[in-house]
Amino acid sequence: MKSADFAYHRPGDIAEAVRHLQDYDGGARVLAGGQSLMPMMNMRLWRPDAVVDINGLTDLAELTAEGDETRIGALVRYSTLEFSPLVAERLPLLKAMVAFVGDRQVRNRGTIGGSLVQGDPTGEMPLGCLVLGATVSVLGPSGAHTIAMEDLYEGAYTATLAPDEVLTEVRVPPHPPHFAFRECCRRHNDFCVLSVAATGRMADDGRWRGLRIGLGGVNDTPVLAEASMALLEGSRLDDADIAAAGGAALRAIDPPDDIRGSAEYRAHLVPIYVARVLRDLRASAQAAAR
Amino acid sequence: MSGTERAIAFRLNGEAVSADAPVRMHAADFLRHRLGWTGTHVGCEQGVCGMCTILVDGAAIKSCLMLAVQLDGAEVTTVEALAEGDRLNAAQESFKRHHALQCGYCTPGFLMLAESLKASGRTLSRAEVREELVGVLCRCTGYENILRAVEEYLNADEPEASR
Repeated sequence: MKSADFAYHRPGDIAEAVRHLQDYDGGARVLAGGQSLMPMMNMRLWRPDAVVDINGLTDLAELTAEGDETRIGALVRYSTLEFSPLVAERLPLLKAMVAFVGDRQVRNRGTIGGSLVQGDPTGEMPLGCLVLGATVSVLGPSGAHTIAMEDLYEGAYTATLAPDEVLTEVRVPPHPPHFAFRECCRRHNDFCVLSVAATGRMADDGRWRGLRIGLGGVNDTPVLAEASMALLEGSRLDDADIAAAGGAALRAIDPPDDIRGSAEYRAHLVPIYVARVLRDLRASAQAAAR
Repeated sequence: MSGTERAIAFRLNGEAVSADAPVRMHAADFLRHRLGWTGTHVGCEQGVCGMCTILVDGAAIKSCLMLAVQLDGAEVTTVEALAEGDRLNAAQESFKRHHALQCGYCTPGFLMLAESLKASGRTLSRAEVREELVGVLCRCTGYENILRAVEEYLNADEPEASR
């Protein structure tokens, strides 16, 4: 199908982009990589009055290290994350996860900011940024502010940005030394049935600190498995710890029934995938200790 | 607001193009219906099938997910750029040799993806080539011959020799 008609704006700077969004009073959408917005417009699931194309705003496409923090401009494309030495060194979880996004053409065009604002419950970037404790910078008519990933969504496909705000940057704190990621897909590169990402640090005494586990596809939004994380604080990640954490992860979920799997099936998979990811995490630390 | 058009200028297969583009028209339709370059095929128009894959500034993208007006200022390459007259390029020869097509509808998409992989200079295992090709669907042949054709093209020592 073809998109309905709309007005097209290509602002020269971010302030102009915000002004255009304001002018349409909620009727305009930001066009970044277009890998979600364009299909929705072509299928007429969206009929925005106007499209504000931010692809010319090259200062949003920067990827920089600032002290401990890594800053990813909203317009940084998946393929840039995939091949960037900076991301490989500083954000290996994100590098591992980005390979699961779409296909080559989608990764050449889609952006991290677009993915975060789209807020697909199965999206890899929202889950990765949540587990890494990232915050996003947002610019609107009343100025700039930041939103923690934990507060970015109020539901599926529903970011808490106002319609006249633009996500400009993702700020990621230092990455823990160990990470693991797995997802379950019915078809290669499809939206996942569920995904699990974890990071953590094993102290010199062999006990794990600050372990974070995130779940995708099993709730309206990506969620942290907080009960599991609390159970594992200070543990040695032995088999009994892992089994208990897998079970506790069920407290974080409210899975959907859809074409990719029933809620029951997803609930069945959650402890299994959480346990696998935690064993991967433990193996990563053991390999590093050798 | 209906029928809004915008003047754009870009390079298509090495030649300068200036035209008016309806803002609601995607790039694949623009190339086909406004410019008459029908080598780029259109399938699902929702970014799944990959038929409309072209190169924009060297990157393989799905042209149904890009607006024509976004081509403004870009360097665009379509399947028509590959052959010189009747002489197929190395990727096309490889597809022919390996019988990597039946109906041919998906072939422009695969060829453009292959071109972008060749240009990237990456050395890829067969498993990696397979992974790189998932964004174009073929409903005739199965993928084995396509995989062989692309792999041979990528591994050829002198990529430009047959041009």
